[in-house]
Amino acid sequence: MTEFKYLIQDPIGIHARPAGLLAKLAKSFEGTTVYLTKGESTVKASQLMKLMGLGVKAGDEVTIGCEGGDEAAAAEALEKFFKENL
Amino acid sequence: MALDYRKCAEEIVANIGGAGNVVSAAHCATRLRLVIADNAKVNKAVLENIDGVKGMFESNGQLQLIIGTGTVNKVYDEFLAVTGLTAASKADVKAAAAAKDPLWRRILKVPGDVFVPILPAIVASGLMMGLVEAIPKFWPAFGQSDWFSFLDLVANTAFALLPVLVAISSARVFGGNIFLGAVIGLMMVHPALINAWTVGNYAAGEIPTWHLFFFNVQQVGYQGHVIPVILAVLLMSTIEKWLHKKVPEMIDLFVTPLCTVLITAFVTFTIIGPVFSLLENWVLAGAKWLASSLPGAVVMGAIYPWTVVMGLHHMYNVIEAGMIAQTGLNTWMPIASAANFAQFGACLAVALKVRNQKTKSVALPASLSASLGITEPAIFGVNFRFMKPFLCGMAGGAVGSLFGALFGLGAPVYGVTGIPAIPAVNNVPLYLVELLISAGVAAGLTWFIWKEDAPAAAAPTEAAKSEAKAPEAKIEVPTNTVISCSAGEIKAPVAGKVIPYTEIPDQTFAAGVLGEGVGIWPEAEVVVAPYDGEISSVAESKHAIGITGAEDMELLIHIGVDTVAMNGDGFEVLVAEGDQVKAGQPLVKFSKEKIKAAGHPDVVVTLLTNSDDYENVTIHQ
Repeated sequence: MTEFKYLIQDPIGIHARPAGLLAKLAKSFEGTTVYLTKGESTVKASQLMKLMGLGVKAGDEVTIGCEGGDEAAAAEALEKFFKENL
Repeated sequence: MALDYRKCAEEIVANIGGAGNVVSAAHCATRLRLVIADNAKVNKAVLENIDGVKGMFESNGQLQLIIGTGTVNKVYDEFLAVTGLTAASKADVKAAAAAKDPLWRRILKVPGDVFVPILPAIVASGLMMGLVEAIPKFWPAFGQSDWFSFLDLVANTAFALLPVLVAISSARVFGGNIFLGAVIGLMMVHPALINAWTVGNYAAGEIPTWHLFFFNVQQVGYQGHVIPVILAVLLMSTIEKWLHKKVPEMIDLFVTPLCTVLITAFVTFTIIGPVFSLLENWVLAGAKWLASSLPGAVVMGAIYPWTVVMGLHHMYNVIEAGMIAQTGLNTWMPIASAANFAQFGACLAVALKVRNQKTKSVALPASLSASLGITEPAIFGVNFRFMKPFLCGMAGGAVGSLFGALFGLGAPVYGVTGIPAIPAVNNVPLYLVELLISAGVAAGLTWFIWKEDAPAAAAPTEAAKSEAKAPEAKIEVPTNTVISCSAGEIKAPVAGKVIPYTEIPDQTFAAGVLGEGVGIWPEAEVVVAPYDGEISSVAESKHAIGITGAEDMELLIHIGVDTVAMNGDGFEVLVAEGDQVKAGQPLVKFSKEKIKAAGHPDVVVTLLTNSDDYENVTIHQ
């Protein structure tokens, strides 16, 4: 499991647009599962509904975990995504 | 060698993410077929190695575990028990609830349990039959027409072959295989047997008889019967369950059904049937004797509906025909009419008084059909289930019969009661008074004595469901499909003008990043569930809701564009994450005015977020 933490900057947080993009991205890594944790709850980032259900907003710190396959590459791509979009 | 089915089932449940992760379960000859909510929770490696699981694969959105012939049904039973799913949970809940009741109460509950599921069939048929058969009484020419003959066939199908419906429903109640139940029901009305309705036309010696061992079995069908059918299927279910336990797995699949049907058929025709026809003959003789005196008529008017419950009323034609032959006047008819009309009155009172919409919707047509002389829907569907209306109906029947006997009411015809008998009676005004008295007493008593039970008594889940739905009856539920795909159809969650997702005034939605779907410019302010499913997420700001449906369809209903900024103001969520919802159930109320005031488009974005996973995703405008 490769992990990194991120402090959400975007005022709307992980909602519709960013959530959709994130889920798409998370699905794109063959063999790698992406998890997103906020506080106590962890969801698979590829599951749009669960992702939006977390209600992640600006100021929340989330942990992104990648497991299996090319974890490092996935984590790198995700980190870039978070910095650009969230 | 023998497999511990319970342990096997428990291990399966533990490795598919628990009972909560199972959407539905079924089994075929060799495989346990599961629909899983979240496949990520399935521990495939462990599953394959569970003792008893011979292999697994995924197909058609199902997780299929190969368990083997003769074993899979036992593991399935345990699986249902462990997870508390559907069939088992229903039966268990009922059994648990019933276990607290005394035996007589449990026995009285059985006809109700059997009849509730088949009510749609008998309410429809009863009403149609009452109408179709009433018309020729007022307009004889219609009785000769092809239309009458056709409509009569349609209307009486459910009644002519009632044992089949009763058998199937009984099999469900008693936990037997419903197809074996159907076989038993069909057997009891087999065309090779003499129809029970016409058996009266045969002289005693003419009826063909089987000689089986030391039994002499008359080859007569069970048309119109209820209790013998329920008993036969109870026996069948008991035998079937016992055999499933005892018969070695290898041969269970064919030995158990074969023996079950054979033994049940034999016992039904040699013991249940004859015992019943003996009882029937006693009742018939008793009824005949009762009807000949004034006090007897009162008693008969009271107990008449019980004979309907027993399925004996079809034999009364014999009494009526006998009376006409003897005196030219059928004085049985006023008794039957009083009893039937009293059940109509009781049922009507229930229909008017009850708040439960489901009961109301059954009671109204059922009472109508009772007024035309077809009382089964009213008795089994309403009065007998609640019991007090049934008893009030008995009182009404007794009073009405007393009146009828006092004034010497009668008719020169037989086979009709209630309103259709009006043209035939010897004194129409007095007959009308009798009907009024019967119905009036029954309805009045029911109105004051009967109180709508807490939903627990009759049909807990149904009652509760319709209670919950009742106040929302006003909400307009759209019926147009907006998205269809290989997994099913998705109805519009709100009424309004539908546009394809590409025209939604928001880049993200229009680009399809969140999946394909539609936007709806709403004409109402309530979002309802577009299909049966589970609420998978509710946005903290209340403006978006996710709902998982068949084959894992994930639908996003997002009310308005950029409305996340409203932070929940103007939205009221009526469900919570994890709730099971039914199509048409209200999910979110929203204020178009507030959305407008906040400066956002109020289009209700409806997207199948995992549309990539399905084939033939089509948008309907």
